[in-house]
Parts: sequence; structure tokens; C-alpha cells
Amino acid sequence: MVQDFQDVWLVIPVFNEETVIADVLAHVLRTFPNAVCVDDGSSDGSAARILGSGAHLLRHPINLGQGAALQTGLSYALARPGAEYFVTFDADGQHQVEDVVTMIGVLREKEADVVLGSRFLEAAHEVPPLKKLILRLIASLSRPSRTLGLTDTHNGLRAFNRAVAEKVDITQAGMAHASELVDFLARANVKVREVPVTIKYTEYSMSKGQSLLNGVNIIFDLALRRRG
Amino acid sequence: MIIKGLLILAAVLLFVFFLRRSHTARLQAFKRIGFTLFCLFGVIAVIQPDLMTWLANRVGVGRGTDLLLYILTVVFGFFSLNTYLRFKDTERRLTRLARAMAIRDAVPPAEGDSPGGSGVADEAAQGRGVALTQGGRGEGQGV
Repeated sequence: MVQDFQDVWLVIPVFNEETVIADVLAHVLRTFPNAVCVDDGSSDGSAARILGSGAHLLRHPINLGQGAALQTGLSYALARPGAEYFVTFDADGQHQVEDVVTMIGVLREKEADVVLGSRFLEAAHEVPPLKKLILRLIASLSRPSRTLGLTDTHNGLRAFNRAVAEKVDITQAGMAHASELVDFLARANVKVREVPVTIKYTEYSMSKGQSLLNGVNIIFDLALRRRG
Repeated sequence: MIIKGLLILAAVLLFVFFLRRSHTARLQAFKRIGFTLFCLFGVIAVIQPDLMTWLANRVGVGRGTDLLLYILTVVFGFFSLNTYLRFKDTERRLTRLARAMAIRDAVPPAEGDSPGGSGVADEAAQGRGVALTQGGRGEGQGV
């Protein structure tokens, strides 16, 4: 039986993903009919690739950062008729459609209001050791993530039901939005579940992905957050 | 020594200012008064250099130059903080503006763009794709 995902919206922040975005979208749209790509001021042909792919295209006139792009996509998706579930999805193709299906399943069963993907929940998949160490460190340093018992706070794959998505307000334009979200979830008193997801660390996603030094930026952003 | 108290007080005030996010009119007024006093102080200090030393001795600092350095440090801290908060605020507004523009100019997929569409629709989508590429390169040839 083919499941109906008309009420699911994928929010995909895009920044200079010209080489992969068309393939990623073609693959994703086979299962999920609704996707909104937020082109965050790409300087390459990403926007042209998105047009004609079947996804909705939003363009930031200037580069604002991934957090801002996510919030823009989320605001747009929330205004679409019939939208009930919202999924944030990375543009580089490292996430698996099957994982999204699982996450939506959890939301539909009302087992949780928010489902977060985790790379570390079950057997370590293909996460490089050093990266794993840093990500776990960030996760364990953050108090809200401990409250929620999360193992992976910087995973781009997340699913929200409508009630939670309406309350999300990402103000951290840069990469610290991930921790900001976790912080919000810890305060918002919503049911959060982590499910194991597989990340494909292709050469492409490795070259694009967050460098380890970015962990330093994230920690700094977070320390300054409430004061900014 | 009085200077220690004064400097610590300055640091505490800066921190409080840092924590307070709102830019109220009152705060603005205080900043302006502070700036005016600062200018006045500068002029007096230039005309009457001995005054600095006298003032320094009053608050327990050896030389006027040292006092000047302390004051400069505090003023610089204030300035940096003020600029930082300004930037943050501007960034936030800019993000809202860009978001509003992006949503206003959203491009929904054309009918049949979806990969699940029929053959005819797929053709239409392809035609549109070509037109786009041409438009993008600025070499559309007309019909």
C-alpha cells in the first residue's frame, strides 16, 4: 500500500548545492509530494536546478545562514493548506527518505510531537570517530539536551507536528540554530523522540559538511545567545 | 581605593547593559547625556592637563595618564557593546525583511512539474526548464 504524504512538508535549506540538489529532489519527491527549498543566496545555479524539479522555491535575496533558511521554509510551509507535518531535510542527500517515513509514522501515531534523527542511537553507522566525539561532546555539554536525553543535537533531520512547528521561532541565523531548537523543545514541554537514522557520508557531503572547527563556533554562539 | 570601586561599578553597569536587550528611549537619553559629559570632560582635560592628575589623586590613582587609560578602557567596552547590540538588532530586522521577500516571491512548482505527473505534463515541464535555462543565461531568442 502506498502511503499518502500529502500533509507532509519537507523544508530543505539550500546553499550552493548545484551539483546534487536536482537528484536529491527527484528522489525525495517520489515519496513526498511537498517540498520547499529555501535558496539561501546561493551564488551557483542551485535555484535554476530547483525550478522545474517540482519543489517550491523560495530565495533569500542575501545569504543569512541555515537557521534563517529553515525558519523561512517553515513559515512558508505552515501557510500551505493541509500541511500537518514538517520535516527539515539537508540538501546534500545525506538523509534517507525511509528514515523520514519512519519519523512521520511516529508523529502520526501520536507517540511524540517532535521526532529527531540521531546518528548515535543504535550501532554507530558510518560516523567518523573524531566527528562523533565532538558531536557527542556538544550534545552532553548542553543542559537542555541532557534534560531530553538526546544523543545527537546537530542532526539536520527533524520532524514536527503542526502544533510544535507553529511555535518554533529560530532566531539564530547561523549554525547554532540546532542547539537553539533543542533548548526550545526542552522548555516547550513537548514530547520529543529520537529515532536512529542513517547518514550517508559521501565525499560530497563530507566536503560540504560542518568542519570540526565549527564546533567551536557553535559553542561560542550558544554562550553568547541569551545576551545577544 | 576609590578607583577600584569605580572600575568595578563600571564593569557591573556594562554587564547589566549587556543583559538588557531593550533599547528604550530612556536608555538612549542616558547614553546621550553620558556622551555629552564625556565630550565636556575631554575639552576640560585638554585645557587643564593638571586637572587629570588632581582628579587621579582624588580617586587613588598615581598619574593622570593612568586614569585616562582606565576611563578609555571603560568607554571602549561601552562602545563595543553598543555596536554589538546594534548589529544584532540590524541582523534580526534584515532576516525578517529577507524572509518576507522570499515568501512573497515564492515560486510554486508548475502543474505537472512533479515527477509523478503524466507524460504530457512532463513535456510541459521540460519545455519550461529550457525556457528557464535560456532566461538564466540571458540569451533568450524569442519565439
